[in-house]
Amino acid sequence: MLYKEIADSFNLELDASNSIEDINRLKVKYLGKKGIITEALKGMSSLAPQERPTHGQALNQLKREIEDLLSKREEHLKQIDITRRQIKESLDITLPGNRIPIGSLHPINLVLDEIVDIFVSMGFDIEDGPEVELDYYNFEALNIPKDHPARDMQDTFYITEDIVLRTQTSPVQVRAMQKSSPPLRFISPGKVYRCDSDISHTPMFHQVEGLMVDTDITFSYLKGVIEVFLKEFFGRNVSVRFRPSFFPFTEPSAEVDIGCIICKGQGCRVCKETGWLEVMGAGMVHPKVFENVGYDTSIYKGFAFGMGVERLTMLRYSITDIRLFFENDIRFLEQF
Amino acid sequence: MKAPLSWLKDYVEISDKPEGLAYHLTMTGLEVEGIEYLDDDVVFDINITPNRPDCLSILGIAREISAIYGKPLSFPEHNFVAETGELDFNIDILDDELCHRYAGRIIRGVNIEPSPQWLQQRLIKCGIRAINNVVDITNYVLLELGHPMHAFDLNKIQGKRIIVATAGKVRKDENPVSIKLLDGSQRVLDDDMLLINDASHPIALAGIMGGEDSEVTTETKDLLIESAWFLPSSIRKTSNKLGIKTESSYRFERGADKKILKKALDRATYLIHQIAGGKIYGKIDIYPKRHKESEIKISFKAINRYIGMTIPKKDVIKILINLGLGIETSGDEITVKPPSSRRDIIRDVDVIEEVVRLYGYEKVPSVVPKSPIYIKKDTSDGFKTRLKRIKDIRYLLKGYGFTEVINYSFMGEDEINNLDIKDDDTRRHTISILNPIRQEDKYLRTTITTSLIRNLVHNYSYGNRDLRLFEIGKVFINERQDNGLPKEPQHIGLLLTKEGEKQLYRDSSEEFYILKGVVENILDDLCVKSVGFVRSNEPFLHQGKASDIIVKFCSGEQTPTTPQEESLKIGYLGVLSARTIERLPVKILKQDVLIAELYLDTILDIMVKELPIFKTLPQYPYIERDVAILIDNSIEVARLFEILRSYESPIIENIRLFDVYKGKGIADDKKSVAFNIRYRSNEKTLSDSEIETLHNDFVNFILSRTGGILRG
Repeated sequence: MLYKEIADSFNLELDASNSIEDINRLKVKYLGKKGIITEALKGMSSLAPQERPTHGQALNQLKREIEDLLSKREEHLKQIDITRRQIKESLDITLPGNRIPIGSLHPINLVLDEIVDIFVSMGFDIEDGPEVELDYYNFEALNIPKDHPARDMQDTFYITEDIVLRTQTSPVQVRAMQKSSPPLRFISPGKVYRCDSDISHTPMFHQVEGLMVDTDITFSYLKGVIEVFLKEFFGRNVSVRFRPSFFPFTEPSAEVDIGCIICKGQGCRVCKETGWLEVMGAGMVHPKVFENVGYDTSIYKGFAFGMGVERLTMLRYSITDIRLFFENDIRFLEQF
Repeated sequence: MKAPLSWLKDYVEISDKPEGLAYHLTMTGLEVEGIEYLDDDVVFDINITPNRPDCLSILGIAREISAIYGKPLSFPEHNFVAETGELDFNIDILDDELCHRYAGRIIRGVNIEPSPQWLQQRLIKCGIRAINNVVDITNYVLLELGHPMHAFDLNKIQGKRIIVATAGKVRKDENPVSIKLLDGSQRVLDDDMLLINDASHPIALAGIMGGEDSEVTTETKDLLIESAWFLPSSIRKTSNKLGIKTESSYRFERGADKKILKKALDRATYLIHQIAGGKIYGKIDIYPKRHKESEIKISFKAINRYIGMTIPKKDVIKILINLGLGIETSGDEITVKPPSSRRDIIRDVDVIEEVVRLYGYEKVPSVVPKSPIYIKKDTSDGFKTRLKRIKDIRYLLKGYGFTEVINYSFMGEDEINNLDIKDDDTRRHTISILNPIRQEDKYLRTTITTSLIRNLVHNYSYGNRDLRLFEIGKVFINERQDNGLPKEPQHIGLLLTKEGEKQLYRDSSEEFYILKGVVENILDDLCVKSVGFVRSNEPFLHQGKASDIIVKFCSGEQTPTTPQEESLKIGYLGVLSARTIERLPVKILKQDVLIAELYLDTILDIMVKELPIFKTLPQYPYIERDVAILIDNSIEVARLFEILRSYESPIIENIRLFDVYKGKGIADDKKSVAFNIRYRSNEKTLSDSEIETLHNDFVNFILSRTGGILRG
C-alpha cells in the first residue's frame, strides 16, 4: 500500500537522521508544500468519491504520526546537542566560589547590640550623652563631692579641673532626668574612660547603665529586672545573687554575681575559686541624686544598674586578655 | 583590710568555719576577697567600701560579726591609774574647722625597745612592719580600734605646747612653710595644709605623717601621745596634693570617730604602760566641735514599701540593735540614733540598707514590674533612631567585607603631625589630657584616620596586609559649645589596602573606585542627595587620587534667577600620600593605602529621611542608543555629565557611562568616553524616526558643548 511505503521510507530516513538539519529536511520532504504527504492528499482527487474519506483519514493519520515522530526526534537531538555543548563548557565545580568578602563586627559591639536589644524588648528607651563631661555630672550630681574618698574608686582622666573624660555613663542619667520628668525607663550605653592599664584594665571601655523611675519602684523590682536580663543574656539556668555593696549614687547598693559559667560554680581560675562572677552593680537611686535633679523623693523612687561590656564579652567568647579588644588585630576580629 | 581570725576572736565569739564566716561577711557587705591559711591562724582579706571607715579596724569587723551571728561584743582593756598634779603643757587649736578635737597624753620614763612577739606577729599579719614598742602600739591600736594616733618625743617639742594650725597661720615670712617628714622627705606646704606645730616650728603633717625631728627613737624617754579628729576633705586634699598615702590618712579621709578617739588614747596609754613601762601623767582634751547626735525617723511601712516585701518588725529591731544603733519605737515609727562611728547613716534610706543587708538580699523576692506603656512626651526621634541607623551602616559595611574596629579615643602628637594638617585646621585644635597614661595617648583624637593608621601599622607588622577596616566613633574638636563642653561629632572611618594581585578571581578596577563605591552606597543608605566629589586638598592624601565629598543644598534667600547653592564638606576619601606612609614605623611597599572619613553626625543632621513614594511602572518600551565621543582629557566625567543633564528632554530616561578609554589609538591629551542613552515616553511608543531626530540633536549638542568628536 501507498501509506505503508511512505511510512517505511520515512522511518528509515528518521532513523538515519542525527541533526536538526536532517529533521528540517525531512519536514520539507514529507510535510512541505510539495512534500510527499501533501502531494498524496492532492492526488486523492483522482480517486472515486466514496474512497476519498478512507484514504483521507489514513493520510491524515500518517501525517500526524510523522509530525509527532519528527518533533520527538527533534527534541531528542536538541537534548543531545545541549548535553554535548554543556560537557564542553563544564567547570571544575570544586573551585572555591567567587565570594564577596564578608567582614566582621567588633565583639564588643555585638554584645552591646545584644544587651540593647534585650532592654529595648523590655520597654527601655536609649539615651546618650557626652564623653567629655563636666565634673558636676560625672561626680557631684551623683553624690560624689570633690575630695570624697569615693573618687578613689575611679581613676579619672582630667581635661581641666572641671572637665573630665566620663568615668561612667551615669552622667547620662542625670542629664536625662533634668530633661524629662518621670516615669523614666532607659539605658545609656557608651564609652567610658579610666586612668588604668593592665591585663584586666584598659583606659577606655564600654558600659551600659540603666535607670527606671516611677512612683512604685521597689528593691524587689530591681532584682526582678536584672534577673530577667541576666537569664536572657546568659541562659535560663544561670544562677544570680545580689550582695550588699556601696555606690555613692545608690542606697541600698548591690553587686550582682552570676554562678561561674566556666566551672558551673565548682571554682576555677576565672572566678578565683569562688564559683561566682561579679557582672553588674546596682541599687536604689540615692535620694540625693533625685534632689539634685529636682525630683520629689517623697513621690518618686527608682533603681539604677550598670555593667561593663568588656567583662560580659570576655565571658561570652572566653577571651582572657582585655587588651585584645583595642589592638584591633584582624586575626582576632575575624573570629567573630 | 587584713583581719586575723585569732584577733577577731578577742572581741566576739566565732564558732563558724572560716569559709562560713567569709560567706556571711561577703553577703552582708564586707566582701572577703581572699582567705590566707597560716599555721596558727587564718587571715581574711576584706574589701572595705569607702562608706565604712568604721570597719577599717578589727573591732569594727568584730561588731559586724556580732550583728550577723547575734553574739555579744566586748571592748579591749583600757583602764589604768594616772599620776596627779600640774601638767605644764598646752594645746591650742587655731583652726577648729579642720580639727574638731585634739587630745594628748603625757607618759614619762618609758623604755623604747622592740615589741613583744605576740604584738609584732599581729602587726605583720596585717601587713605592718614592726619598729619599736611605742610606735608599734600606736599602729596596733590603729588596727584594733581604727583610730590613727601619733607618738611624739616629748622632749623634742619646744615650748611645751602644741598648736594645731594651717601652714598659712604659722608662716613667718613670704617663704612657704616646709617640713621634713618621718620618711626623710622634705615637703614644701600650701597655706591651707593643716600642721601640728610646737612653739617654734611644724612637728607633724596633721593626720598624715609625723615630722622627723620629733620622732620617737631608742633614746626617747618621755612621750606625748596624740589622738585627734581631722576634717576628712582637708586630709584628703593634702594627701593627694603631696602624694602621701598612709594608714592614718586613709582612715582620716574616710572619717574617723570623734568619740572613740578618747578610748583609743586610753587603750594606747594602757598598752604602753604595760609594755614600755613609765609613768602615766594627765591628759589634755580640747574638743571645740562636738559630735552631733542625729536622729532618723522612719516607719516599718516605709521600709517594706522601699524593699517590696514585709520584714517582720522584730527582725528589724533586732538588726538595728545588734548593729549598735540606738532605737526607740512608737507604733509604726522607729527613731534611730546612729553611733558616732557610723557617719554613713544619715537618712532613712541608710537605715533601710542596714536592715535589708543584714536581713539578707537573697530573701527579697525578684518581681518583674507591672509594665504600663509609656508614650514619650518628647516627639523627637531621639538617640534610639540614630543608633538604629548606625547599626544598619555597620551591617552594610560588614557585607562589603569591612571588619569593624574600636580604637581608644586618643592620639599622640606624632600621629597628628604625620598628617601634615595645617595649624589653622580644626583638627589641630586638640584637647589634651592632663594626666595621660602615655604620651602617645595625650590628645583626644580629632580624626579617625590616626586610629586607622595605628591599626594599619599593627596589622601590617604582623603580616596582615589585606585590610578592610571601619570604625564608627567620636572625634573631639576643641570648640566649646553652649554647655561648656567641646564638640564630639561621630565619624565613620574606612581603610582599605590590598597586597598584590595574587587572587583566583580578578577584580581589576582601581581601589579608589572600590572605596568610592562603598562610600556612595553608604550615602545612598543614609538618603543623602546631591552628593558631589571634588578634588581634595587633604595634605595627607595623594594629590591625584583624593576627593572631598560634598553635598549641595540651597540656603538663604532664594530668587528665581540665582538660587543660593551652598556646598558642605561631609568627608573625604583617597590614597594616603607617600610622605605620610614613609614616616610610619613599618615599611609599606607596593601597595596603596586608602582612607575615607565621613562626618556621620553632620550627615544625619542634614539628611531628610524621606519615605519612597511609589511611581507607576513605565507602560511603553524604551529605545537605546550608544554614543562614543573623543574629548579632552581635562574634562572630568562629572563635568561631562553636567553638560549631558543640561540638555532638557522629557524622554531621556537615563544616561549610563560604560567606558572610559585612554591609550593606544588615541591622542595623549584625549580620551574616549562611551555611554548609553535610554529614551522612553510616558505617553506612547516612540518611533525610530522620532528618536533619530532627537538623538541627532542631542549628540550635536554634546559635541558642540564639549568640543568633542564622534567616534566611528
